[in-house]
Amino acid sequence: MAFAVVLVILVLGSVLFHFLSPWNMTPLASNWGSIDVTMLITLVITAVVFIAVNFFIAYAVIKFRHTPERKAEYEPENKKLEWWLTLGTSVGIIAMLAPGLIVYADFVNVPDDAHQIEVVGQQWSWSFRFPGQDGQLGKSAIEHISTDNSFGVDPLDEAGQDDRLLTSNTLILPVNRPVKLSLRSKDVLHNFYVPNFRVKMDSVPGQVSYQWFTPTRTGDFEILCAEYCGIGHFNMRGYIKVVEQQEYEQWLADLPTFAQSLMSEASEALSVKAKQGQEVAQKKGCMACHGFEESPAGPSWLGLYGANRTFKDSTELIADDDYLREAIVEPGATIVKGYAPIMPKLELSELEVDAVIAFIKERGNRDSDAGAQTMQKNPAEQSKSGAELAQSKGCTACHSVDGSRLVGPSWQGLYNSERSLASGETVLADDAYLKESLFKPNAKVVAGYPPVMPPSQLSSAQADALIEYIKTL
Amino acid sequence: MTGLIADFSADREAFSVPWGKAMMWIFLLSDTFVFGCFLIGYMAVRIAAVEPWPPTSEVFALTIAGHSIPLVLIAIMTFILITSSGTMAMAVNYGYQKKRKKAALLMLLTAVLGLTFVGMQAFEWTKLIEDGVRPWENPWGAAQFGAVFFMVTGFHGLHVSIGVIYLTIVALKVLRGHYERKGYEIIEITGLYWHFVDLVWVFIFAFFYLW
Amino acid sequence: MTAQEHHSPQSFWTKYIWSQDHKVIAIQYSLTAIFVGLIALVLSTLMRLQLGFPGSFDFIDASAYYQYVTMHGMIMVVYLLTAIFLGGFGNYLIPLMVGARDMVFPFVNMLSYWFYLLAVVVLLASFFVTGGPTGAGWTLYPPQAILPGTPGSDGGIILMLISLGIFIIAATMGGLNYVTTVLQARTRGMTLMRMPLTIWGIFMATILALLAFPALFVSAIMMLFDKLLSTSFFMPAILSMGEQLGHEGGSPILFQHLFWFFGHPEVYIVALPAFGIVSDLISVHARKNIFGYRMMVWAIVVIGVLSFVVWAHHMYVSGMNPYFGYFFATTTLIIAVPTAIKVYNWVLTLWQGNIRMTVPMLFALGFVSTFTIGGLTGLFLGNVVVDLPLSDTYFVVAHFHMVMGVSPVLVIFGAIYHWYPKMTGKMLHDGLGKFHFWTTFIGTYTIFFPMHYLGVLGVPRRYYAYENYDFIPESAKDLNAFITIAAIFVALAQLVFLFNLAWSYFKGRAAGSNPWQATTLEWQTETTPPGHGNWGESIPECHRWAYDYSVPGYEQDYLPQNQPGEANA
Repeated sequence: MAFAVVLVILVLGSVLFHFLSPWNMTPLASNWGSIDVTMLITLVITAVVFIAVNFFIAYAVIKFRHTPERKAEYEPENKKLEWWLTLGTSVGIIAMLAPGLIVYADFVNVPDDAHQIEVVGQQWSWSFRFPGQDGQLGKSAIEHISTDNSFGVDPLDEAGQDDRLLTSNTLILPVNRPVKLSLRSKDVLHNFYVPNFRVKMDSVPGQVSYQWFTPTRTGDFEILCAEYCGIGHFNMRGYIKVVEQQEYEQWLADLPTFAQSLMSEASEALSVKAKQGQEVAQKKGCMACHGFEESPAGPSWLGLYGANRTFKDSTELIADDDYLREAIVEPGATIVKGYAPIMPKLELSELEVDAVIAFIKERGNRDSDAGAQTMQKNPAEQSKSGAELAQSKGCTACHSVDGSRLVGPSWQGLYNSERSLASGETVLADDAYLKESLFKPNAKVVAGYPPVMPPSQLSSAQADALIEYIKTL
Repeated sequence: MTGLIADFSADREAFSVPWGKAMMWIFLLSDTFVFGCFLIGYMAVRIAAVEPWPPTSEVFALTIAGHSIPLVLIAIMTFILITSSGTMAMAVNYGYQKKRKKAALLMLLTAVLGLTFVGMQAFEWTKLIEDGVRPWENPWGAAQFGAVFFMVTGFHGLHVSIGVIYLTIVALKVLRGHYERKGYEIIEITGLYWHFVDLVWVFIFAFFYLW
Repeated sequence: MTAQEHHSPQSFWTKYIWSQDHKVIAIQYSLTAIFVGLIALVLSTLMRLQLGFPGSFDFIDASAYYQYVTMHGMIMVVYLLTAIFLGGFGNYLIPLMVGARDMVFPFVNMLSYWFYLLAVVVLLASFFVTGGPTGAGWTLYPPQAILPGTPGSDGGIILMLISLGIFIIAATMGGLNYVTTVLQARTRGMTLMRMPLTIWGIFMATILALLAFPALFVSAIMMLFDKLLSTSFFMPAILSMGEQLGHEGGSPILFQHLFWFFGHPEVYIVALPAFGIVSDLISVHARKNIFGYRMMVWAIVVIGVLSFVVWAHHMYVSGMNPYFGYFFATTTLIIAVPTAIKVYNWVLTLWQGNIRMTVPMLFALGFVSTFTIGGLTGLFLGNVVVDLPLSDTYFVVAHFHMVMGVSPVLVIFGAIYHWYPKMTGKMLHDGLGKFHFWTTFIGTYTIFFPMHYLGVLGVPRRYYAYENYDFIPESAKDLNAFITIAAIFVALAQLVFLFNLAWSYFKGRAAGSNPWQATTLEWQTETTPPGHGNWGESIPECHRWAYDYSVPGYEQDYLPQNQPGEANA
């Protein structure tokens, strides 16, 4: 008896809970209302079964409770009833599966007019890449990833030159345009999920997966990582701002292109482009004849760029970009005085030639004034304050500013404090220490914290801005 | 069909076989799934590998008298293993005929053939390791080649080695007359295991070495 | 057929420690499983403390939290549920219910327990290595499981994988015994279709175990290789902490396929014995034959077979080929049909029954109710497109706790209350049992029912904390706190059960040989608890099916299976 009563209360309570609960799906902000409808169909059918089964038990338990005089019925089976129940269940199953698969087909087939954005997940932040005017994303690979090329775009791929890069965690999207998100990961499984858009998909290292949706209203939304990716998983945040098309286009135009990023301030001795040029020069055999110390068969590249050249026919020229380009692709056209005309004609793409020239320029003029470049910086990116950087680069995923302990030490009171390291020694958290920790995080790990911080992808100026911000906490 | 129904509607036992035999069949079914998963994993890894897969006909070639003969060692190993299945089958036969000595001898011969197989496999491992094959890299192509090779042949070789020990123990017991009363089904049960090991080798041979 | 000669064990060591008696092995399995289960219960309480009252306990940092999550999950699924249903109930009941003296190979059976114990020891050892136990989640997905961003990615994951390998060997040894005994060692008159559903459930589950564990075994070996030998089975080219690792060409999704090819049958390895046992509990305590026995057997077999073709419903958002989603959604929803039929048959058994609301019956009905809701929420998740918003949220957590954590555990409790008198000769205290039931049943319901709604809201699982997420309202934090309080309450209530087990052993009411007046053979033994060899001089003969309750024309409301006379089935 008590059991029946409790069961009825639980069922009625559950139903009441359902209607009274404040915890429902987040307000829909995409085209996937059809998922909500399918879920509702499923809910109705399952709710009917849930109520029916429980009420049946409650009723039976009272009506057929044990009495010594009565005997239970003896009925091994009832084929007809069992057949009807099977049929009814199958109908119910089909009623859920059919709409489900129809809506799923919509998800699998991306609309032709969807614009494409690449989402790159890493431990523990998001970044984004947009195909440029050519509408195509450049090829990318893990082997190309470096501090100055955080997306790993192939510098020799034409299609990638105009790609726009967004290393902050806030993505802007245009309203009412279907978007296909191509998902990539640099390290482990992640999952890009915005509750208001309904759909989600893992980003898998080693392959590209996708999801698509159409934002149907403007607003601010949160990105959640929905596949366990290590201890920073719970704080791997991002934001989406859905805006009108015009605002989106303006914002997009301000983002740096990949080509620009190759030239911007390099944190290492050679820019990405020059490094690529070095690889090309080695692969194509240039270094067999040209060098920076010895130059056995051809003119040395040391100090070549911008220098005066005297040729066989006694004419003179400054060795600028145009000269170098011609010298590479038409080796026999102008021969430098004192050298034999033995340079073979090589097959190099335009980008490869550019890269080699950058290598000659940077490496050859490293210590001279002529080589000092005015770096092209993306003004918007570079002037970001330390506080903004902390958010957009994902630092706050693991470091709090209010003293609370997350994955990493809090920044509150950090500057100039004494830190006990895991190695046992004590250090002062001064500028030098902070800068080192940004780029070589596991060199000096604070005691009691796991060594899981990835090296920061910042320019030197950005690092300074961040340190200034930390000083204020 | 009626036989199937008769089996399953029988009381006491579903199959007219001794308990040990039924248990061995079921164990082999489970072990089939283990090797099946290994081979399917290998196929998935090979398809997904970024670099080209090393050509097995070259990797497993031996230079004899100045000629490079592909897969010769494997061919011999296969021949040995199949022969050992033959000697095993003969042992089972003699066992049921109660010819103890012949049965035991053939079992020991099977064990020796099995040991030879393992020895040749060990030789092959040594040769490949000398050539620079490691679980994490090799000089010829996809790094997973070495990983799959050592894993699959390792587990197979382990099964053969266990079989050799099992065969030896049972053979000695047969010789001593341990099974006079109980009956000689044990030889057939051992035979089942041995044939399974042989069959797995055929699949490894086909999918890994030949393909 | 060679019969093993049983010599009655003489010393303490051969009777209780190195025993080859299936009943002793069953108790060894059960006590070990309950012991680790309690550890896992404590871990879950610690998790709930963090979720309900975030930041309140300094020692529960993100690292520790993920380690608790992982160990709680793995222990519960594998080392408690699988071990107790197969190694505990399987070992105890199979020979008794089919009329055998023991398992077909008692020595191997004994070995199986010691390997299981070794697996447990290795697993618990991972708490004491540098870095602690693995915090990769019970699903152990690569690449993160073996990379430094995850806690316990050195010794912890290695010991976990080794422990699983040892467990699989143990499960295989035991499983071979259970399957062979059921197939080959039944007594005269005991056809397969006269076996109680308890045996059918455990039998089918064991077949699944023998065929599914190989996939886990292979994936564990491959992951060990990836970790220890730098192979690239599952590891593509990646960065870790800014460094390019040497791996290339591996596929994380290959692991998921292998893991879930095991993982889905695994949940039926837990569920099928529960299904079988619950059929018998309801039947005995309602004094009525189980409704539709043949359909019930058919359903168990079909569910078992289908369980091998639904695995990728755990992978809908994994990035696998999206076209697979059509296939797996279809098979998953098909498997719901035989499962639903079982639910109907359980409740139809009550119809026109003569129901005694004993403690076992309460737990059995608690199972039916909670399994119904758990199974129904599975339909949301199985329908691929509806799974898109719900995957990796608390909806999934609530679903699998209902179907794995609540309902089968209620069956375990019910089964212990039911068979304890046979194992010990004493009844468990009734009042304490009822208290245990009400607190556990209502308590777990209040924990997991509201949790579904957090999932619907979109709250992801495996999050250490939920601070500063705009889409999560403040009220959700209150809900989490409420759930934590309920969980602590339920956890404490289990102490009453443990006390009952111990107290009743010494002070419980004498049970007699068949206190529930059940028909199945285990209740017809000469002595209670059954002695060595179970049946004394001669094994019983089976003359009827297991459900001759309230047979018309007989005075007694039950006919034991070994009672001669006209058979109805």
